[in-house]
Amino acid sequence: MPAASRNSIGGGRGFGINDDVDILTEVLKRLDGRSVCVAACVCRQWSSIARKDSVWEELCFRHVSPGVRPVVVALGGYKRLYMVCVRPLLKRMTLARPDEVQLSLSLFCVHYYETLAGSGPPSSLMFLCNPVNV
Amino acid sequence: MVPYETAAIPIANPPATSSSTTTTAISKPPEIDGLLAGAGYKVRSSDLRHVAQRLERLETAMLNSPSQHLSLLASDAVLYNPSDLSTWVDSLLSELNQSQSLPSLPSDLSDLVSNPTALDGSWMDQQLPPPTAAIHNQQPSQLTVVEEDSGIRLVHMLMTCAEYVQRGELSLAGSLIQDMQSLLTRVNTGCGIGKVAGCFIDALGRRVFAAGGGGGIPGSAYETEILYHHFYEACPYLKFAHFTANQAILEAFDGHDCVHVVDFNLMHGLQWPALIQALALRPGGPPTLRLTGIGPPSPDGRDSLREIGLRLAELARSVNVRFAFRGVAASRLEDVKPWMLQVNPKEAVAVNSIMQLHKLLAGPGLDPAHRPAPIEAVLGWIRSLNPKIVTVVEHEADHNQPGFLDRFTESLYYYSTMFDSLDACALQPEKALAEVYIQREICNVVSCEGSARLERHEPLARWRERLGRAGFRPLHLGSNAFKQASMLLTLFSAEGYCVEENEGCLTLGWHSRPLIAASAWHALPETAAVSPDVAVVGGAVM
Repeated sequence: MPAASRNSIGGGRGFGINDDVDILTEVLKRLDGRSVCVAACVCRQWSSIARKDSVWEELCFRHVSPGVRPVVVALGGYKRLYMVCVRPLLKRMTLARPDEVQLSLSLFCVHYYETLAGSGPPSSLMFLCNPVNV
Repeated sequence: MVPYETAAIPIANPPATSSSTTTTAISKPPEIDGLLAGAGYKVRSSDLRHVAQRLERLETAMLNSPSQHLSLLASDAVLYNPSDLSTWVDSLLSELNQSQSLPSLPSDLSDLVSNPTALDGSWMDQQLPPPTAAIHNQQPSQLTVVEEDSGIRLVHMLMTCAEYVQRGELSLAGSLIQDMQSLLTRVNTGCGIGKVAGCFIDALGRRVFAAGGGGGIPGSAYETEILYHHFYEACPYLKFAHFTANQAILEAFDGHDCVHVVDFNLMHGLQWPALIQALALRPGGPPTLRLTGIGPPSPDGRDSLREIGLRLAELARSVNVRFAFRGVAASRLEDVKPWMLQVNPKEAVAVNSIMQLHKLLAGPGLDPAHRPAPIEAVLGWIRSLNPKIVTVVEHEADHNQPGFLDRFTESLYYYSTMFDSLDACALQPEKALAEVYIQREICNVVSCEGSARLERHEPLARWRERLGRAGFRPLHLGSNAFKQASMLLTLFSAEGYCVEENEGCLTLGWHSRPLIAASAWHALPETAAVSPDVAVVGGAVM
């Protein structure tokens, strides 16, 4: 058990959500992207938890092979992956299938590669920001 | 609309607001047009356009005139000096220009109309399309009709000009180009037919007016890279090419621990991050990857190939893939020799060619005794590397036909479709620069010849034959590649793109016109009898 709770549960004072960082993290992990960003505005503690990459990892892919994490971390982390790649893709696909995951990772990788060039903002994913033509 | 072309007379354009003289450089002695001579008129062939233009102007003026005046014109007319049509029409028109509001036509016009021998009547009687001339009494609401018709006229004029070029009648082509340029000023060149026409008119102009036969657009390798990059971002063709090739290469490398990719045109190396990442995540761990990138030498001392290699190496290092890069600087693909690639016999080799092979095709008309097509030699040494897979992506078009008109027509349709697909892109400046990229291709196809004409696109069927003859067998691209391509397309905002499967190859097109085709090949294991020949082909023909 992590940080000791000041009040025992049977003691009548109840359990504060801010008392247990791990439980708070687990809760925030299950939110959608916008809600996590909203949660980050609540207070400093929530803000620091919302910034944890593990929260964004859940947002990006629910079930992936273990090898994916070091690659994503190397390419910039889950939060960045979500902002740059997953969020625009989620408008058009579910990212539940492994091939969808793979495609998003590939696009993210191209994006990272462009940041290595250092010449201006990377633009290979700009096409994702276009509204879908209906 | 009935196009009123006769054998030698092009479709004239609407009149300019001021009288203009055609500035045709007449290089041969003035010949009299045979057809009009038969009708009793002596008109120089070089003046034909001029006369046609003026006559059309008269006709539109007459169509616009109130009907009571037309009946006045039907009075008796006398045609003075009927054979000198050219001067006569000019004098009529100069009178016409003076009377701007046309309530009454000069009586001289009656000469033109009523005399039955005045002209071949079929001209005047034909139903013209609604007048597209910038006549002052044109209603504003007819502007869209004006534009559409101008667009159609431009296309007709382009085809006619191409025909002149094919026949070698460059002076006629030249004056038609000038007319098209003035018509262009009245058309919206920001999109649609106006933009495409603008590119083709420019390319024709370069061909006809350039000294020494044909001029492409000069550009440095650096500029080409930037344009390529924007083309990559603005539309899915290159992304499709990269992702499809990568998928095929990934599948071919399955089970191999030492792999080597040879890229025929490295550019910024945008294709390879995705492959490196996919190899990093492959079950069983990544192989050792070697990449040999071929590209043009950098002029200013920068080793751009090495810089790209370093960047790729950094990426590979961060995802824990053992990686080695080698750059081969060559201004032409045929200058590359297989020993430069340092292929290790134990590694699995993939050769990747994105829109490079067509540059190796000699024109079908060239004398084979002088210079054999470099394509055969290059395919030969590719085969000698014994690659696990050769990924080939090419334009799906026939821009290498010997006849200029056929080539022109085909490229007009092809690039119109491509520009259409680009219209849906909203990114600027990517879209504008992507259009410049395409414009350069158009220029090369239309205005260059011989060894300067590199963009010799051929359709998939022809590549199949060629690669088959060179000893390669097709590898079917498989459903994973198709699914990935379809997914990629859903990400693009334009709804007109379509991926199709064509006997194991994938094509990406716009509204069911395929524009780019991706295929994969592998070399058959060589029999003992064949291999010495292959070595000779690879080494001797240079």
